[in-house]
Amino acid sequence: MKKSPTIFVVPTGIGCEIGGFAGDALPTAKLLASASGCLITHPNVMNGGALSEKDRNIFYVEGYSLDRFARGEIGLKSVKQQKIGIIFDSGIEHKILIRHLQVADACVATLGINVDSYVLTKKPLSILIDSDNSKISGGIIENPDTLIEAGTTLIEKGVTAIAIVAKFPDDSGSEGTNSYREGKGVDPISGVEAVISHLISKFLKVPCAHAPALTPLDLNERLDPRAASEEIGYTFLPSVLIGLSNAPDLIELPNKNELITLHPNQLESIVVPHGALGGEAVLACVERGLNIISVKNQHTLKVTNQFLKYPNLIEVNNYLEAAGIILSIKKGINLTSIQRPLKRIQEISLND
Amino acid sequence: MKLIKVDFCLDWPGSIEVINLRKYVIRNLIKKGEVIRWSIIDIQNSKESYDIKKLRINAVLAN
Repeated sequence: MKKSPTIFVVPTGIGCEIGGFAGDALPTAKLLASASGCLITHPNVMNGGALSEKDRNIFYVEGYSLDRFARGEIGLKSVKQQKIGIIFDSGIEHKILIRHLQVADACVATLGINVDSYVLTKKPLSILIDSDNSKISGGIIENPDTLIEAGTTLIEKGVTAIAIVAKFPDDSGSEGTNSYREGKGVDPISGVEAVISHLISKFLKVPCAHAPALTPLDLNERLDPRAASEEIGYTFLPSVLIGLSNAPDLIELPNKNELITLHPNQLESIVVPHGALGGEAVLACVERGLNIISVKNQHTLKVTNQFLKYPNLIEVNNYLEAAGIILSIKKGINLTSIQRPLKRIQEISLND
Repeated sequence: MKLIKVDFCLDWPGSIEVINLRKYVIRNLIKKGEVIRWSIIDIQNSKESYDIKKLRINAVLAN
């Protein structure tokens, strides 16, 4: 059966009911990958702290690069293995750093992943979390140059993919963190995480993903199952290393020399939460006339097709329905043929 | 390089079709800095003109 390459986006930091937590959209990604035969999605869909999974039908592509793919600027090339380097924020406490290094060793010893080396940033990244906005999580880092410098060093040593571990401020008792852990709010740190990985993607153009280094949290008996995978171990690094281990190479286009596995011209659809149509990947797909499958998935935004009026948008109630739509597209079945009532075909006047 | 957060409103005139919306936003963003991350986080119909929509853009830029 033919494939129907599809992007699956769950925007970071807007509190999506499915996918707004710790890799809790991973089962959905597997379903959509099975339906499409080829799914392109971003790390926060796949990363569940200590838990993750590989799927040969899923391309793991960091958000900034995924946007570039949607814009038609890069192609994706499958690889057997990436040679991973890790950037550690020099602001991380020694004990937590050792925990992360042991995770990297474990991924080499137990999973056979090629984690080659690591580097400490010259200066702390100094994360500033934006706590003013309850709709969308955000923030910046104070020392972006030190991050880029560390990444450049790894690439010069032959690394082909980069994991970043940044020290986040201890806000374990904050209202935002507690709400998130109990399944009620927006992930307070995911916005800054996206900024960190976007910087590496933008300036160094290699596969990358980020894991936060956090002080261990106290036990919470009201923990929401969707946040539970972040409470299993000391670090969130395993899922990042698993995802990066065979993330595709990013091939600048046009390019006649590299064998590209997935060209952006092959893309057919994007699946996105209803009301989250204001992201770059969606608007790039609109630009290219692709199918937008808009799925009800409660979150904090209301950027809907009521305003965009894009004709090629299909609204569905859940991801199971989205999978059915993708299967129909893949098989070339007219969607109206399986809906009722079914209208007669229309005559077009020669004078029109 | 220094990162800045910006949150601003942008008028979306009816003369700009939805297929050109991304480029329209980018043209306005790059006046303020190099784009790292952005999205439209709200859209409202303008109260002043039926032909204009008000976009609220949230972005991180580098300068």
